[in-house]
Amino acid sequence: MTPKLPTATVLIWLLAASTAHAQLKIAVIQELSGTGATAGTNFKNGVELAVKEINAAGGILGQKLEATIDDTQSNPGIAKALALKAVDDGAFAVFGPTFSGSMIVSMTQTRTAEVPNFTGAEAASLTQQHNPYIFRTSLTQTTSMPRVALYIAGTLKAKTVAVIFVNNDFGKGGRDTFVKAAAAVHLTVAADISTEAGQLDFSAPVLKAKQSNADAVFVYTNEEESARCLRELRKQAFSKPIIGETTLAGQRVIELAGPAANGVLAHVGLTAEAPIPAVREFRAKFEKAYKYVPDHNVIKGYTSVYFLKAGVEAAGKPNRVAVARALHGLKISAAKQPGALMDVAIDDNGDLDRASFIVQVKDGKQQVKEVLPPVAKF
Amino acid sequence: MTRQPRWLIGMVGMAALLVLPPFLRSYGLYLLSYWLVFVIATMGLNLTVGYAGQASLGHAAFLGIGAYSVAIVMKAGCSFWLGLPLSAVLCFVVGLGLGFPALRVQSIYLAFATLGFSVAALLVMRYEEWLTGGTSGINDVGRPSLFGLDLGGNLAYYYFVLAVAVVVAALLRGVLRSPWGKAFTALRDNPIRAESLGIDVRAYTLLSFAIGASCAGIAGALLASLVQFVDPTPFGLGVSFTMYLMVVVGGSGTFFGPALGAVVGVLLPEWLRFAQGWYLTAFGVAVIVLMLWLPGGLLSLPDRLKARAIAASRPRT
Repeated sequence: MTPKLPTATVLIWLLAASTAHAQLKIAVIQELSGTGATAGTNFKNGVELAVKEINAAGGILGQKLEATIDDTQSNPGIAKALALKAVDDGAFAVFGPTFSGSMIVSMTQTRTAEVPNFTGAEAASLTQQHNPYIFRTSLTQTTSMPRVALYIAGTLKAKTVAVIFVNNDFGKGGRDTFVKAAAAVHLTVAADISTEAGQLDFSAPVLKAKQSNADAVFVYTNEEESARCLRELRKQAFSKPIIGETTLAGQRVIELAGPAANGVLAHVGLTAEAPIPAVREFRAKFEKAYKYVPDHNVIKGYTSVYFLKAGVEAAGKPNRVAVARALHGLKISAAKQPGALMDVAIDDNGDLDRASFIVQVKDGKQQVKEVLPPVAKF
Repeated sequence: MTRQPRWLIGMVGMAALLVLPPFLRSYGLYLLSYWLVFVIATMGLNLTVGYAGQASLGHAAFLGIGAYSVAIVMKAGCSFWLGLPLSAVLCFVVGLGLGFPALRVQSIYLAFATLGFSVAALLVMRYEEWLTGGTSGINDVGRPSLFGLDLGGNLAYYYFVLAVAVVVAALLRGVLRSPWGKAFTALRDNPIRAESLGIDVRAYTLLSFAIGASCAGIAGALLASLVQFVDPTPFGLGVSFTMYLMVVVGGSGTFFGPALGAVVGVLLPEWLRFAQGWYLTAFGVAVIVLMLWLPGGLLSLPDRLKARAIAASRPRT
């Protein structure tokens, strides 16, 4: 019996080794509790759906994805701990966090360990540090805000605008970029109104916006606050156009604000209402699995896993450094990679270029008014 | 439990903290360092709340003041070794200031006064951009070196935080064993009698706040260098509540209570991560059960077990 024992051990070891190698570990580090919970949970759900689909179709280059999901509690200190955990566990790629502050902290860890890191965070500075392992999952504020400002000044022919923003890294960063973009198209900011994360009463900010007598109001706050602001704008019978960027016309905001959301205009990088067959198909699949309409954060999470897939396939091997290199300058065509949903180009900094939309909320639904083409050619 | 076994357990714990970390990977080391930072902060809060009996819900603000002091000083090109004492001194002074409401109001009213202070501090962190970087925070806060020894690595930094924790604990032990310590407990148990015995209630109330705050300041300084980034989120109201919870769960007014309380507040949520989406719910339930079962905190467990054993051994009549 004794000679059989080593053979059996070797066999078991080989088997274990082969299963271990046949999996790509991905770490989802998201805000699942705290102030970022809405965005983080949606992003996570998007990733989960993509992972299920990819695994059902045989994985990436024959390797299945194995996702671990962890909550940052919207706290940069915890986010750093989770990034270290992901690196310790040998994660092939990291998805998150979404809060810029948490991202700044955790991306230094993924960079040192050479792990591709996909993020839904918006702050412009993230991709300006020559970090070769960071990749966006949406357009940045630097890309979106000029499009919003141009729409307000051009299409809506407004001369002045009141800005209501939330004073956190997301809102303040967006406000700063918007103000610059507005100046570039000679749009005057008549009132610059700061609000708090978690603010319940929007009567004073809305009153200030009204008193400024601006031609339009631009609202840039997180989901719950956006809904409260919209309700207050309607309550105070604000009659000028209400414009937002992505969040304001998001599905969660529409649900919370109810009829108050009707008429709202917004520039959105991603929408489940996009007149694109792949997006419609994705929406149907998601609704079936999760019983709600996906928002932009879900699409960010979902498409980012397919970006990774495209990167691995372009590199031809599951090697992290090679994949990060392959992703830079990669043009992902939705025809070849349907999970990417739309044609997208990733530049040398990890920023995206993609078409975007101007939408209006009607009867509780987003309706696409205009499609703004990407800069790059496909 | 008698004094000796309690200290024995303390020594064994200390030995484990010295010997085991080299075998941990970076996540484990980071978590242990994070835990130690909160042990230092809650030791201070334990002095204010547990020993001196002053309800304070503004402790996270001191943690923040400490963290921002070091970050700002280091961004200005000065050394961490200037920032660390500055954090402690600044928090001591601000803590003295916060102590004044405690001379007028007590219990829940004092808690609300300190809560107000916490909100004000948070607003300064968020809105005074020229100083604090606002909501974008301050990035790239460095780690120090000591006598040419680089403390930048996770293991080296862990040992540094451990050393600071031991020094702070020893100093606090000294304070508590001195007449000051007796004065603090007298203040908690019966302020009128304390005053009639000649204890300057005013001075000791202020001191209990100031010393507690300076501990949080030191912890904040260490936290800034540990995370290497400072923004207002970790110093919100929730963190003040969590630190209060750590003191109560560990055993308010017991010397080793904060170490155990911080295990519950910092490490327990991480250990419960296997429960996936339910982990914070599991944490909440664990705390409720703990408070119902052991209202005196975790350190009252041995006494409770002993009391039960004595009750069981007593012949029934």
